[in-house]
Amino acid sequence: MPTDLRVSNISKIYPGCIANDKVSLQFKSGKIYALLGENGAGKSTLVKILSGVISPDNGEVFLNEKSLKLNSPLDAKKNKIGMVFQHFNLFETLSVFENLSIDTNEDNKNLRVKINDILKKYNFSIDLDIPVLNLSAGQKQKVEIIRCLLRNPKVLIMDEPTSVLTEQETDELFISLKKFCDEGILIIYITHKLKEVLSLCDEVAVMRKGKVVSVSQTGDEKIETLANKMVGQKLAKIKKKNNNLKNKVEIFKVKHLNFFSNDPFETNLENINFSVKKGECLGIAGISGNGQNELFQILSGEIITSNTSIIFRNKEIAQLNPKQRREYLMAFSPEDRISQAAVPELKIYENVALNNFKSSNFFEKGLVNEKKIKEHSKKILTDFSVNTDNVELKSQFLSGGNLQKLILGRELITAPELLICYNPTWGLDVGAINYIHETLLKINDQEKSTILISTDTEELLKLSDRIAVIYKGKLSRIMPSEEVTPEKLGVLMGGGSIDKN
Amino acid sequence: MIKIEKRNDVPTTLYFLTPFIAIFLTIIGGGIIFYFLGFNPIEALKFFFVTPISNLYGFSELLLKATPLCLIAIGLSFCFKSNNWNIGAEGQLTFGAIVGGGVALLFYDQEGFYILPTIIIAGALGGMFFALIPAVLKTYFNTNEILVSLMLVYVSKLLLDYLVVGPWSNPEGFNFPETRQFSNSARMPLLFEGLRIHAGIFLALLAVMLSWFVLYKTYLGFQIKVSGLSLKTAKYAGFKGKTMILVVFMISGACAGLAGVGEITGPIGQLHRMISPDYGFTAIIVAFLGRLNPFGIIFASLIVALTYLGAETAQIFLQIPKYTGQVFQGMILFFLLASDYLLFFKIKILSLKKNDLRH
Repeated sequence: MPTDLRVSNISKIYPGCIANDKVSLQFKSGKIYALLGENGAGKSTLVKILSGVISPDNGEVFLNEKSLKLNSPLDAKKNKIGMVFQHFNLFETLSVFENLSIDTNEDNKNLRVKINDILKKYNFSIDLDIPVLNLSAGQKQKVEIIRCLLRNPKVLIMDEPTSVLTEQETDELFISLKKFCDEGILIIYITHKLKEVLSLCDEVAVMRKGKVVSVSQTGDEKIETLANKMVGQKLAKIKKKNNNLKNKVEIFKVKHLNFFSNDPFETNLENINFSVKKGECLGIAGISGNGQNELFQILSGEIITSNTSIIFRNKEIAQLNPKQRREYLMAFSPEDRISQAAVPELKIYENVALNNFKSSNFFEKGLVNEKKIKEHSKKILTDFSVNTDNVELKSQFLSGGNLQKLILGRELITAPELLICYNPTWGLDVGAINYIHETLLKINDQEKSTILISTDTEELLKLSDRIAVIYKGKLSRIMPSEEVTPEKLGVLMGGGSIDKN
Repeated sequence: MIKIEKRNDVPTTLYFLTPFIAIFLTIIGGGIIFYFLGFNPIEALKFFFVTPISNLYGFSELLLKATPLCLIAIGLSFCFKSNNWNIGAEGQLTFGAIVGGGVALLFYDQEGFYILPTIIIAGALGGMFFALIPAVLKTYFNTNEILVSLMLVYVSKLLLDYLVVGPWSNPEGFNFPETRQFSNSARMPLLFEGLRIHAGIFLALLAVMLSWFVLYKTYLGFQIKVSGLSLKTAKYAGFKGKTMILVVFMISGACAGLAGVGEITGPIGQLHRMISPDYGFTAIIVAFLGRLNPFGIIFASLIVALTYLGAETAQIFLQIPKYTGQVFQGMILFFLLASDYLLFFKIKILSLKKNDLRH
């Protein structure tokens, strides 16, 4: 029997923001639907309503013309609506099979037969008896999908499923999704990646500021048209201009970087060597969890390793802490902007004071020079177009984009010679991403260098002069960005090799 | 079904109001306990909270008891604000009193203006040294400072016991477990004739002023604040974490040591086994009731000091044990933690209708 899912006039209002404004959409089985929108466009709210996590203030959900009451995720499951979230809900230390057996009533024997049928049918290769922590992100996602399939879903909702996958894993996922679709499962695919919409989906609904702004066949759309609908304004295209780096001096050089940890949740780093030239952006690609965290912390001085040599502007800095490294004009923008780069409970000017370099005079003779810090903060707020001028505001009230602008501003206003950033645009909307990309390009124009550790290949290709891939704590060959393609990166990020010999 | 969520923003006014709510609830709770013990709750509460401070002498006693509480809590606030859990202030107080008392005994038959300052400095250094033990073990050997500081309390208490029974006991004291009386030069000057309140209160007030200045106006205070909110950020900013741990423990220990010296050179005048009715532990409640804020701590130390006095009055007038004071202190902490929980988290009750469970 074909499935017909309809949402009618759904509204959800949060204090100060309309997350869903009279959203009406219709989905029919046999097609893959894309739900496209920026962060905060309302797509997550809508799928949370469909999966019973939150209930709407107004409006109804109909499945085959029957009105559904979705008060909890359990209700969604009962009505055969399955959902795979962006962040996996798996117990890392339990085996795959144990994870799958948690929310079923079936006895283990039957369940194993069922799971094996699914594995065979869709050509998944997963060992059921190893702990989940040994799986790659793509495999973990498959476990989540199997969990949904065990319930014979009519509707399968995928929330930004490719953000943690390699190119290969993405291709595999798309093949599976198409298979599900052929078998009559209705698929709703949430994303903000335009290419995926065009290559995978049949129909696309674009949301902006809580409203559905367009529903169309993907065949009638192009990347540019979708981008315009999603953002609502013409995007200023930024392009990497080719820097001639041949005659530039090396400013930063890492030799024999090794890191060994007893913590199973940390990645060991093995013999990492690289150098950065003046005005250059070195991109370090990789899927998260391959050692980027550890690498960032060693480069910033939060972790001090023995026997590593880090030369910066002809000085050995490997044993210096972050504050001392800042004095040599390095700056750092960590991935975790909410709880590491800034403290949400602190006011903006207090967060600015965290980057306390000597010439700032923020703390003269050990005393707080509040006036100076505040003046400096005001300058950051205007120079980096943060949308507030109140330095007394607690930074928890800044949106992700504005917080990141504040942090980058704080790091850059000291005119550092080298900025090391890790996923600087993670979770931001297109407007903020563009701003930050422009800022990063500007630094290179001013002959300052950057090391960009990122999991976003598009970003790396756009900003880097040379790119290397980190995989399981090892760094690949460093390649000029002209010879790098997304496919090549994907192969390296997934642990493959591109050098044929 | 019940769901607990973190509140995103807690209004500052409410944050400073909850201690009052906790005190109010403690009074109600105390009334209920008195009722079940067979007393008229209003009368009993009056004996507990009003009678003790209804005359000048009572008021002086209140300040006398609040002084060590305030001093210790000020020191603890440095530790607690930076995520260092020093639970052993009682031990640091005792050790400070031992060192300070030792100096006082050296001068037992001498007079001189220099004696009291020497004792005070010795006491502060003693407390500081004793607090450094858990701090050094934490920074260099990764031990847990809660356990170490707590266990050291018993070390110093037993050491005091040994000293007052053995080598330091009063040769003319008929084997009572106590030392000689200190000389007059080794005693805190009294502020008023006939009242026990002494100059130690100025030390406490000085500590309040200094701690406010350090916590809110200096780089050290800023580092303490950031480390308390996020250790990750402190590391990222490059603060010297180890040095800071040592410094906050030293401040905390010095304050506790001062409190110990204040007691022995003030109302007690010698060393014996019972120099402190657990001020070092009660000060933990004071620090939190005062929201780790120097001026909040003044207020909190007065309230908690009142429970000590109230318990004594209640023992006299109502013939109930003076340990009811600890019951009240416990209730304050309980209600404070409970209202803090409700302040920082909201509890949502999700309705599960009957028909949801069908199908």
